[in-house]
Amino acid sequence: MPDSEAAVRKRIRGLLAQLYGGDSFVETVSDGISLRQAGVSSHALVALLVAMEDEFGFEWDDDVRPEALRSIESLAGHVLSLQE
Amino acid sequence: MAVRPEVPDGAAEGTLTVWRPVQPPYGPPEQFDAGRRAAGAALFAAGAAERKRFVPREPDGRPGFPPGFPGSIAHTDRLAIALVVPGASSVGVDIESAVITARMARFVLRGLESQTLLPPVGDYTMRELFAAKEAAFKALYASGALEEFPFWWIELAEADGVLIASYRGSQVPVWIRSEPDLSLAVAIRR
Repeated sequence: MPDSEAAVRKRIRGLLAQLYGGDSFVETVSDGISLRQAGVSSHALVALLVAMEDEFGFEWDDDVRPEALRSIESLAGHVLSLQE
Repeated sequence: MAVRPEVPDGAAEGTLTVWRPVQPPYGPPEQFDAGRRAAGAALFAAGAAERKRFVPREPDGRPGFPPGFPGSIAHTDRLAIALVVPGASSVGVDIESAVITARMARFVLRGLESQTLLPPVGDYTMRELFAAKEAAFKALYASGALEEFPFWWIELAEADGVLIASYRGSQVPVWIRSEPDLSLAVAIRR
């Protein structure tokens, strides 16, 4: 059964929290805000994408749409689209 | 604290550089503050009028440097840097202290880049090339001519000892210098 969108977002938040050593920063990042605008570094973003491959069992395509990488919401949407 | 690399020779002329430490607890808000303090000091050093020394955040998140004083900001969790290059077209800077794993490198580097720029053929490290792409992204995206795109879509090639970063017909040279724990990349379109 596919995950719910809320569950996927929560798991992505969990990955971000691991990268930042806790929840304090991640709790300030809303689901829809650009991760770059929220202060997520390029290093953390790439590390998150790698961690998502392991967490959700897929590989990012080289030509992934940039919009899919923008926010927790869009990342979750990409994961769910792969599960359909 | 990591030793700070000097601005590489090719990027140093006319470049005002300021470093600032990140204050505890070293999170993104403190990193942001350190970067803005560095930028204000760099604008002061560049001779910007007082009212132009504040660097607001643009709607897309980029720092808004005043006209005539293009600049860029980067930080690790401990250190921030700001560059201002009066009269340049656009500027990008990045500093990296963290390890770039092989899997992260797969995202960032294309096959040809790995083959030609990393040892044994090339002299660059994965950390340096990661920083180079991020610095180039800032310089190219700041030009305003491109839609936002993942920074790793930029292609790197070496010419006469300088890295040339390219994306969709736009190019910018990138200079790199590293210390053991910190790499600095500077991209300037003059």
